[in-house]
Amino acid sequence: MTGKTLLIGSGACAHRIAEDILTQESDLIIASTGEVFGLPKTPVSIDMAEEWAMVYTKTKVHSCRGAVGDFKVVLERNGEKKTAAVDQIIIAEDEKRIPGFSYYGLTQTAKVMALSQLEKLLHDNSEHGDLFSGIKTVVFLVGIDAESNPVILEEIMQSCLKLQAEHKRKIYILTENLKVAATGLEKMYQDTKAAGVLYIKFTHARPDIVQVADGRVRIEFTDEVTGILLRLAADLTIVDETIVPSDYATDLARIFELEEDLNGFAQGDNVHRLTVFTNRKGILVAGPTRSVKSLPDQFTDADNAALSLRKIERHPADQTTDKAQIDNGKCARCLTCYRLCPYRAIQVNTRVSIAPAACEGCGICLAECPRGAISFLDQKKTAGSGVPAAEVKRPAGESIIPSITAFCCRRSAASAAQLAACMGKKMPPGFRIVEVPCGGSVSLSHILKAFNSNADGVMILTCHEGNCHSEVGPRHAQQRVEQISEHFRSIGLEGGRLVKKTLASNMGLEFAGTLIEFEKQLLEMGPIRLKAGN
Amino acid sequence: MTEKTVVVIGSGVAGLSAALELAQLDISVEIVEKSDFAGGHAIRFACKATDQCVKCGACIVEEKLDQAVRNPRIRILTGSRIESISKTERYAISLHQKPKYINAKTCSACGVCLQQCSQDGAIIQGVSRNHSPFFALNEKECLYLADQSCSRCQEICPEKAITLDARARQIACEADAIVLATGFAPFNPQNKPYGYGVFKNVVTNLELEDILRREGRVVRPSDGQPAQKMAFIQCVGSRDAKLNHLWCSKICCGSALRMAALIKARQPESEISFFYIDVQTFGRDFVPFYRRVQEEVRMIRTIPGDILETPEGQLRVTYIAGETHETIEEIFDCVVLSVGLHPCKENLEVVRQLNLKVGDSGFVAPFEIDGEASNSGVFSAGAVGGPMSIAESIASAGETSLKILKYLEI
Repeated sequence: MTGKTLLIGSGACAHRIAEDILTQESDLIIASTGEVFGLPKTPVSIDMAEEWAMVYTKTKVHSCRGAVGDFKVVLERNGEKKTAAVDQIIIAEDEKRIPGFSYYGLTQTAKVMALSQLEKLLHDNSEHGDLFSGIKTVVFLVGIDAESNPVILEEIMQSCLKLQAEHKRKIYILTENLKVAATGLEKMYQDTKAAGVLYIKFTHARPDIVQVADGRVRIEFTDEVTGILLRLAADLTIVDETIVPSDYATDLARIFELEEDLNGFAQGDNVHRLTVFTNRKGILVAGPTRSVKSLPDQFTDADNAALSLRKIERHPADQTTDKAQIDNGKCARCLTCYRLCPYRAIQVNTRVSIAPAACEGCGICLAECPRGAISFLDQKKTAGSGVPAAEVKRPAGESIIPSITAFCCRRSAASAAQLAACMGKKMPPGFRIVEVPCGGSVSLSHILKAFNSNADGVMILTCHEGNCHSEVGPRHAQQRVEQISEHFRSIGLEGGRLVKKTLASNMGLEFAGTLIEFEKQLLEMGPIRLKAGN
Repeated sequence: MTEKTVVVIGSGVAGLSAALELAQLDISVEIVEKSDFAGGHAIRFACKATDQCVKCGACIVEEKLDQAVRNPRIRILTGSRIESISKTERYAISLHQKPKYINAKTCSACGVCLQQCSQDGAIIQGVSRNHSPFFALNEKECLYLADQSCSRCQEICPEKAITLDARARQIACEADAIVLATGFAPFNPQNKPYGYGVFKNVVTNLELEDILRREGRVVRPSDGQPAQKMAFIQCVGSRDAKLNHLWCSKICCGSALRMAALIKARQPESEISFFYIDVQTFGRDFVPFYRRVQEEVRMIRTIPGDILETPEGQLRVTYIAGETHETIEEIFDCVVLSVGLHPCKENLEVVRQLNLKVGDSGFVAPFEIDGEASNSGVFSAGAVGGPMSIAESIASAGETSLKILKYLEI
């Protein structure tokens, strides 16, 4: 433990985090791609800030090894490399914007520009006289075909108000859905309308947009409210922008092996990552690194990241979950665990080991290790989940109460089971719950042992796809179910005796319903009988 | 150093999140909750996943409550309201806690009291396994509290967990800082021409959450039969210049469309229409989700004029079709009003005692604007400051927690 934090970023969010950390007098290394990174002057003096903060400008991260509490990050500046040893890492890189010219069939000219260009002109304009003197009609194209967001809409409306404040111009905003779902935007929408901005919304039809020789744009459409055919000749056309992660942020996600969301931002789209967490302990993401964020939201993220650091500093060792460990005598270095670990907690050196601080105790590696070389530090846990005997007293002759073993993820189905009990829901008399750390930790041998202990049916109840804390648990569970069911069918046993279902922690009703339904199916199948001749 | 204490008013997702953040930094937290069950509005929300999680965040509220009840530094005082707040060195807060009719330690959640209660609605049920006791007495309905004419629950409770003569308590707390996390009040749509409160099958989005949670599917409140033809009406009480409600409630598009997708998955024969002004972006997977929903849900870009009930008990919705500009009357089994998030009027007294400023909209002004309040150790978190999603409320609670640490110089 070095007590140091690496902060990667150059923009407003990164500066806010730096300020928060430095007021705590904590050691900080800043890696910024910018030319300079101004350290906050207050409340610490600049001299003191320099003492605690090591600033590397024009610097990128080259690679990273290690885990929380012991990261070795290689920084690169003009081809020169330097290794930084840090406990934790915060990434607060800025976004990239892609202008939507192609969506509207337009080419950039002096009269057709992207939103950022306009904002820059408006900013400069306040100092250098009016660049917009000849312009009477301004058209904004936003979120037609490609979905926009409140961050872009706010910038557009601010720009409109500036354009309108100086000269009475005709301003049109053409859009599909007006994205006002942010603080103050509906009010600003009303204010811009009062200032004379006209909003034209498209639902199914699309405007005809033609860029004519002089660079101006002619737009023709039928107004949905009035049903009237309208033609606009825009002296200035502003196209919206898509906000995406910067190329460097994408590189960082790869370097640090972070989950990405659908849009490429470096945070998995998983509610367990709220607010600034990633699949890797000790690596936090804030602001535009994790999603499209307005400036106030970036500051909220920055504060959340700073708060998390304070928590880590106060209680560095996480003892909340059981950790997995590798028996190197049994390990064959096949690297299955390394490949599967969602939290990147497996470290490959001369020996393969698990960084305890990075391990979330999901048990996915245990279930897949072909040598059975991995166990939980708390041996009872391994043993407990290993022998799920479903003891049901059967009357002589036929089994009339099917015995069911339900492997329940502790984060979801196990809670749902308790809720079902509180709610007084009817449940099958012959069911037994085996609480597991993750649906993905249920191995083939766990399942077979359950059948071997007289279970008529086995269920694996996992979180929903996309809600699993380890992200891949439901998929592993599904694969195992398919694998065993196929073998079952080949020996004449019903594949339906082993099922995987998904549940959330607040689904007490559905938990009971799922079990009752399964019991019904098992009753129809009757007791396990292997067909002769198979 | 003596241990610091923070009082959090409200046990919704913002209050719970702030409490957890602070408790993890060794600060003691007292959560004051007015209702019998902790967790706020969102603890009642249904999971909207089909097979895929749709990131509504309902399960995270459950998780926060679970962590909070297990955290030794957090005490949740349900059924409590603030009587007075004064400040000398620290804040001195006087609370009134309603009687604990049901003993949490001995209640086994068997449900006999609910089954045997002779008065509808006098025993109410929790929604989380962390609601302990899982049942509560509704003082307004209980016959014993009215005229002592019935004490059946007390007599039959197998655990002897019910004491109908229980007394209210006065609780005195001291605090170094206060967090107002009282959340929002749902807009009351009674004055809208949609027959809410008159026609049984007109419900709010929050009531639909409850129905989904309780029944697992949508049934008409009038007869308990599955709803076949449903409509969602968005922006009821939000984005409404006539009412001077100049805000988007932010969460309703996501909540309504996620519920619509869930209903289509569970009741594929149902037909769902969605009346809207603009569809707001929600979630990172909005684009594919919205594309899928548009195939299953009929999107109608207009807000209906009114709703009347037919003699058969169905709902006749009148609206102007966007493309043809014709007036259309259409029959639905059930109409869901997506009601806006509004400032909580009940807190006004507390807000006044805490010297917090209230903005034009009626929501509490954020501390960036109201520097005075944060200098005095009073903070806010979550939807008390304006409409917020579950994810935003959690983020807001984190931001507030850092401000409290700075204020307490920890």
